[in-house]
Amino acid sequence: MTAPTWILHASGLNKQYGPGCPRCQQFTGPAHNNSQCPVCNTVYACVDAGFTLHQGEVLGIVGESGSGKSTLLQMVNLATAADSGHIWYREPRTPDADPVDLLQMDAYRSRHFRNDRLGIVYQRPELGLNMRFTVGGNVAEKLLLANWRHVGNIRTRIRELMEQTELPPERIDDDPHTFSGGMLQRVQIAKALSSSPSLLLLDEVTSGLDLSVQARVLDLIRRIQWEQQMTMLLVSHDLGVIKQLARRTIVMKNGHIVESGLTDQILEDPQHPYTQLLVSSAL
Amino acid sequence: MSTTPEQLYNFGFIDEDSKREVRRQILKAIALPGHQVPFASRDLPIARGWGTGGLQITMAIIDADDTLKVIDQGDDESVNAVNLRRLLQRTTGVTTTVDTTAASIIQTRHRIPEEPMRRDQILVLQVPMVDPLRWVEPNLERATIMHGESDYGRMWVYMYESVVKAGDLRIATQYPVIVAGRYMMDTTPIPRWDVMRLHNAEALFLFGAGREKRIYAVPPYTTIEPLQFEDFRFKTEFVAGQICARCGAQDTFLTSHFVVDSDHADGGHWRSSCSDTSFCDKRVLVNATTQEAPQ
Repeated sequence: MTAPTWILHASGLNKQYGPGCPRCQQFTGPAHNNSQCPVCNTVYACVDAGFTLHQGEVLGIVGESGSGKSTLLQMVNLATAADSGHIWYREPRTPDADPVDLLQMDAYRSRHFRNDRLGIVYQRPELGLNMRFTVGGNVAEKLLLANWRHVGNIRTRIRELMEQTELPPERIDDDPHTFSGGMLQRVQIAKALSSSPSLLLLDEVTSGLDLSVQARVLDLIRRIQWEQQMTMLLVSHDLGVIKQLARRTIVMKNGHIVESGLTDQILEDPQHPYTQLLVSSAL
Repeated sequence: MSTTPEQLYNFGFIDEDSKREVRRQILKAIALPGHQVPFASRDLPIARGWGTGGLQITMAIIDADDTLKVIDQGDDESVNAVNLRRLLQRTTGVTTTVDTTAASIIQTRHRIPEEPMRRDQILVLQVPMVDPLRWVEPNLERATIMHGESDYGRMWVYMYESVVKAGDLRIATQYPVIVAGRYMMDTTPIPRWDVMRLHNAEALFLFGAGREKRIYAVPPYTTIEPLQFEDFRFKTEFVAGQICARCGAQDTFLTSHFVVDSDHADGGHWRSSCSDTSFCDKRVLVNATTQEAPQ
């Protein structure tokens, strides 16, 4: 029997902001085109979400603003606490070990897990970088957390990562403010890759960049994914980005997953009316 | 018999309930070395930021049998030291001394005495800024969470940046250390010279910040590890050839001051002397005795 290759299996994830009331179900969800209950004002950011992510796979999450895709990503990033559900993680380096439920870990362990095993790239660089530190300092943070204590070795590793992400290594000690938007995205990617994570989370990485810079960042992500067989969870509202990077895609609306499947299948033959609208608007 | 105004106050100025509360927080601080314990800092007849944290600790632990020494930057006779000593002496009636070895409690600002301290002694440090993470995380709530999770990566980046920008670890005072392998602690503005005096020391070190309402402690025989890199090690201050002009010491922490001299081309010259004045006085006395002794 072949060993299962998934590294992340999420099920029953829920996140709501507010107390909820008996009439919430009546007014919220994709059928009502609403994620906020008009009676109690509770916002249902994510409802009964689940997915499986296999090793080396890129899974796209697509949906309009406020559909819950970033909430789902932040729950996987352990930065937003889920109200209920499970996120099972199987360490790819020890596939025979039992999976662990990330949502059951205490704060100390989840911080270590986030640093060692996860990398994240945000749409806004100031969320992922400390703009008061140099570019090298930002990339060094994860290495220092992993107990790297030799400045010479740290700087050698930073230069390698900068070359890998097509950044000029001679600018290692420059201020991030002197970098362009596309370069800052690459600094974030270099930082995310520094700890050799098992899973890379990408939250609208190309939004706000002009088309030529978008193309370069996407090429870089695709190359890294291909060379390192990196597992990625990609959030975007742009179907073009999803089409280029993701093998499978889930579509979210009003906090619910309304459709999931192979990206080609979803783009060529969308089943849910919302997905059909999304595809027809994009193409 | 007439009474002085100070004798109308409770022993040690503050009331017994307040002292008990401070002692309770001291016990907690000793149980969790390096952890910042909040306490209800009381109003005192000196301004916050002038040693009220250390003063409240001393007031809470002092006993009629204690012998007290108060120093400021190593000096027994500076304005701050004299005033704090006078307040404590008048409100407790305890014996005071300038001799480190004779004191049971030493209250200090910015120095640890040169003479090694014993297990029956307590050093109380006045702390202006409590949290080493303040340099990298101004939000206290987030800094508390960072301490709770040993999340010191950003502080290490601060050290890395220090090396990158200055070519070496250039933190002069308030050098960050890890206490007992767990909490990161600010060593207060003691010079780097004094940092390793905290390591596995026999004495108890209590740190009090009145303005920031925090107490923390380094109990006896506790490990202290300064933040350092394998290729950039923690170093104490050292200036080659600098010696104390009074006692000739080269193995103490020296301070420099400008001596006005109209005969000198620059209008004067710089002179170095021991920061720990009582230790310097002792050496001067020993030197004089040695020179006078018959051969």
